Amino acid sequence: MTRWFEDITIDEVFPLGSHHFTEAEIVRFGQLYDPQYFHVDPEAARQSHFGGLVASGWHTVSVGHRHMVDALFAEEERLRGLGREPGVSGPSPGVNRMDFKVPVRPGDTVTYTLVVTGKRPSNSIPGWGLLFNTLEATNQRGELVYHAELVDFSKLRDYKMPLRLRLLLALTRIPVLGKVLVKRTG
Amino acid sequence: MNPVTASRRHYEDLAVGEIVDLGATTVSKEMIVTFASEFDPFPFHLDEAAAKASLLGGLASSGWQTAALTLRMLGDRFLNTIASMGGLGFSDLKWKEPVMVGDTISGTAAIASLRRSRHHPERGIVTIDLDIRNQHGEPVMTMRLANLVELRDPSVPLIEGENP
Repeated sequence: MTRWFEDITIDEVFPLGSHHFTEAEIVRFGQLYDPQYFHVDPEAARQSHFGGLVASGWHTVSVGHRHMVDALFAEEERLRGLGREPGVSGPSPGVNRMDFKVPVRPGDTVTYTLVVTGKRPSNSIPGWGLLFNTLEATNQRGELVYHAELVDFSKLRDYKMPLRLRLLLALTRIPVLGKVLVKRTG
Repeated sequence: MNPVTASRRHYEDLAVGEIVDLGATTVSKEMIVTFASEFDPFPFHLDEAAAKASLLGGLASSGWQTAALTLRMLGDRFLNTIASMGGLGFSDLKWKEPVMVGDTISGTAAIASLRRSRHHPERGIVTIDLDIRNQHGEPVMTMRLANLVELRDPSVPLIEGENP
């Protein structure tokens, strides 16, 4: 979450809230990104093994991501309210696993929950840490919609760059030589 | 027989090693901001100044947008040409380089494995390796997808260890 890397507690559970999926938005996402007949055509979808229209897995995942980002902003607000400086969240380097379980149908309400399951300082980006997160989505019947194992960057509060790296960074600011250095060390 | 997919390629028509060219998509600033506003409203996907100051170094698409645009290319070039039954998920998704405003992404989908479902004899599982690059040939995203595909003839017995 939007805390400094050092302040993140393993196994803390973050409820991310719920989303109600309508037929119109399922079809809209499908038409833009995943135009398979069971995501865009309610009539034809009846012929599929789903027996009707279902949301693209990538749609439910994108909505889940939005809920995570909103929770990060809310946490940032909460910390500022307490007079504390919030941490910095970075972009994500990837997703280890994503399993789509039960399809989402029009009218379903999906609830998202995040758990930080592990963390370590980044080897490749000094001053940043990696968070290993599990995100689970369930529907109104409590059935698992998807299970995701995500990786995210979070900034370290107490990071002091080693002298060797500070020197290297200074050298990369020199024209020409800097570019060569970045290429070799990047 | 499913009338929607009857004329499409089925499980039996696919082969490990088949490579599909996914075509190309150019990512505009408007596309980036529109997607990010709905699904990934971090300042580094919405605002150029914030993006410059971030790890991304400039306005870049949400990784989920890169994935969604790739999915669209995969749908147009492959999934909508086979008797697809939807995705099971994916593994090892890696966002390797940010996709910046004006970048053109393209790539390939390679069939990595094919096997029949043990519990549903009418279903096969195809795994697909995606390799997406920018206009400089640098990898921007890789992942392995698993997708269900209908068998044309589910009555053919499943042979243990079979992997056509």
